[in-house]
Amino acid sequence: MTLFAPGSTLWLLGHEMRLYWRNFRAGRAGRGARGLISLVIVAAMLVGGGVLAALGLHDVQVPINPISISLAALATAVVFTLMLSQTLSASSEALYDRNDLDLLFSSPIGPSKVLFVRSLGVAGGVLTIFALIVTPLLLPSVIWGHPGWIGVFGVLGALALASTAAGLLLAMALFALIGPRRTRTVAQVLAALVGAAFFLVSQIRTILGAQKSNSLFMEIERQAQEGRLHPPPILGLPLRAMLGEPLPLLAILAGSAILFAVAAAALGRRFSDAAAATQGKTAARPAKATRADARRAFAAGPFLATLRKELLLISRDAALMSQVLLRVLYLIPTALVLSRNAAHGAGPALAGGAGVVAFLAGQVAGSLAWITLSAEDAPDLLAVSPARIQTLRRAKLTAAMIPVGLFLIVPIAALSWFQPSAGVWTALGAILAAWSSGLINIWHQRPGKRSDFKRRGGASWMATIAEMLVSALLAGATGVAVAGLWAWALIPLGLAGAALLSLRRSDVQIARNLRTR
Amino acid sequence: MTEALIVRGLDKTFTKPAVMDLDLTVHAGELYALLGPNGAGKTTTLRMVAGLTKPDKGEISIFGIDARADPGAAKAITAWAPDEAMVYDRLTPLEYLEFVAGLWNVEPKAAKARAEELLAKLGLAGEARTRCEGFSRGMKQKVALAGALIHDPKLLILDEPLTGLDAAAARLVKDMLQERVDAGGTVILTTHILEVAERMADRIGIIAGGRLLAEGTLEALRAKAGEGKGGSTLEDVFLELTAAPETQTGGAAA
Repeated sequence: MTLFAPGSTLWLLGHEMRLYWRNFRAGRAGRGARGLISLVIVAAMLVGGGVLAALGLHDVQVPINPISISLAALATAVVFTLMLSQTLSASSEALYDRNDLDLLFSSPIGPSKVLFVRSLGVAGGVLTIFALIVTPLLLPSVIWGHPGWIGVFGVLGALALASTAAGLLLAMALFALIGPRRTRTVAQVLAALVGAAFFLVSQIRTILGAQKSNSLFMEIERQAQEGRLHPPPILGLPLRAMLGEPLPLLAILAGSAILFAVAAAALGRRFSDAAAATQGKTAARPAKATRADARRAFAAGPFLATLRKELLLISRDAALMSQVLLRVLYLIPTALVLSRNAAHGAGPALAGGAGVVAFLAGQVAGSLAWITLSAEDAPDLLAVSPARIQTLRRAKLTAAMIPVGLFLIVPIAALSWFQPSAGVWTALGAILAAWSSGLINIWHQRPGKRSDFKRRGGASWMATIAEMLVSALLAGATGVAVAGLWAWALIPLGLAGAALLSLRRSDVQIARNLRTR
Repeated sequence: MTEALIVRGLDKTFTKPAVMDLDLTVHAGELYALLGPNGAGKTTTLRMVAGLTKPDKGEISIFGIDARADPGAAKAITAWAPDEAMVYDRLTPLEYLEFVAGLWNVEPKAAKARAEELLAKLGLAGEARTRCEGFSRGMKQKVALAGALIHDPKLLILDEPLTGLDAAAARLVKDMLQERVDAGGTVILTTHILEVAERMADRIGIIAGGRLLAEGTLEALRAKAGEGKGGSTLEDVFLELTAAPETQTGGAAA
């Protein structure tokens, strides 16, 4: 830390990076060989994909024409919205995350510098996520035949900076408009909407029921073929930068860096004031005791008391609600397509849609069960109570299933109205997928404080992958059953059962696993 | 005399021994203070009694119930409040107490009345429906204490109950504990504030290096410690008993 002058931006940045690295290492500690193996497998798959892409694209030159320009601009917009979703969430959290903020703001270091470094951390975090996915896929092509494509990393960096600036501006605007009590929740919900925005826009035709194309990409292609596509010159910048043209790349990088620096400099003092204002303001306003409150009886017994507690905690967890909301948003077009196809008796699309519903049920249930079962702020309280652990687990699992049931009611009811048998199969598949995800989360808990559970990355890799696999198998079984091929549905169903059996842990094994953490 | 707690031959080793062959007896209706320097084994001992840490060896009996053989029955009449309040930031005190009462299977109507009474007593009636996330450490400690008392435990175990409390809150908690003992309840607590043990405890146990060095009333400890040479306050007695042999030698030489 003596490399840079104490108090300088680089010195502060070094401090942030050290903390980030240590947190990362602490997060990785204890995951053991299995986690490492999973990581190696995923990395190998990505690198394999990258090598295949490099082989296939070695002699391909990307043309600069209206189609490629539009597609690159579209891809840039998609990545920007996805990044903005992350940075908006991170920027609003930064206001409430006390950790060392009070120490930094009480020091002689200026608030703009603190915000600049903290924002750089947000941008670095989001860039890392995208770079981890893109690097193994793209690097082989960069090395073998297309060195100019290294510009993609520059564009990603520029997007990370721009989205961080936009996220910061949005978070501060929300703070000014709705105050500290609501900003966190609204920002999380908004982040989910932004994250799903592109998907929803691309599915407008699906939602509205257009007769032909349901894809934005196909629409662009058709317009280009008909010679009606004339993107403005500025839209060509992302593609040219991605292909390594120095001036467009420099323009994009400089523009983003300036936007970022201006946002950090302009918002520094406001951010410091806002962060100070959030202290102790995250709670809901003291509610006046209503007559209903006064009359409402306490829950009786450990099951009902735990169920009520978990439902309250889920409903008050803005980050968790935004994760669930994101998946519900993805479900809307699927549900509409499903209902429409059910009404018109379109078999394959109906089967696919039913599978998607079952898969999403498993995924949402997994997210919720992971929180209710593993995130416990007072584990000692449960341990010293005479309540049986099985009762508490059952209550926590039930709490995770209730929201899943609520968000599935509409699509399944609509489906059942048009095709009752498809509705029954979909409901069965969704219930099985949700319950399986819950069981996996019981068997492979990773206990911790609720505040540490901001993102799903904290869950066991194995549990996450197993959940996806089992949900996918059950989704397959659901789709096949809806298509009327019941006997064939037994194959994925059997595979899912076998996977569950291999993942199963007895109470003794669960307890031993928890003790060794 | 009925014994609230009997501990015999308790052993626990983590990477190094934390508690060694510990014997402890707490009579029903008394306030027992367990004192010791940092890392002496106080919290480990109490966690084993509360059923949170599994002993390597030894017996624990709570009001005649073998806590190792029948932990459920022992837990039903015990409450544990550690120095870090076990509360949920996103629940209100009333919701928290509802949950705790449910865990101990307290009849809902009685639990609600008791929750409101406890919150009023602890000066939290006005905050009963405000989420705990904005609370100070002292307020959270009070909520946790209400949680420990909601099922009217026969044995109340408190680890550093006065940590983080201001003078007024500390007085309130001390008065509540005294009231509880006067009403026949049994309280075991650890504390770093020797004045609390000196003023409130019926008997005091001094633990160091995982072993119980001495146990008894303040007078008995004074007699055991100094026999005239160590002074008369509990602090003198504590320092005399817990000083390492080499420190004692050094001290004498100095």
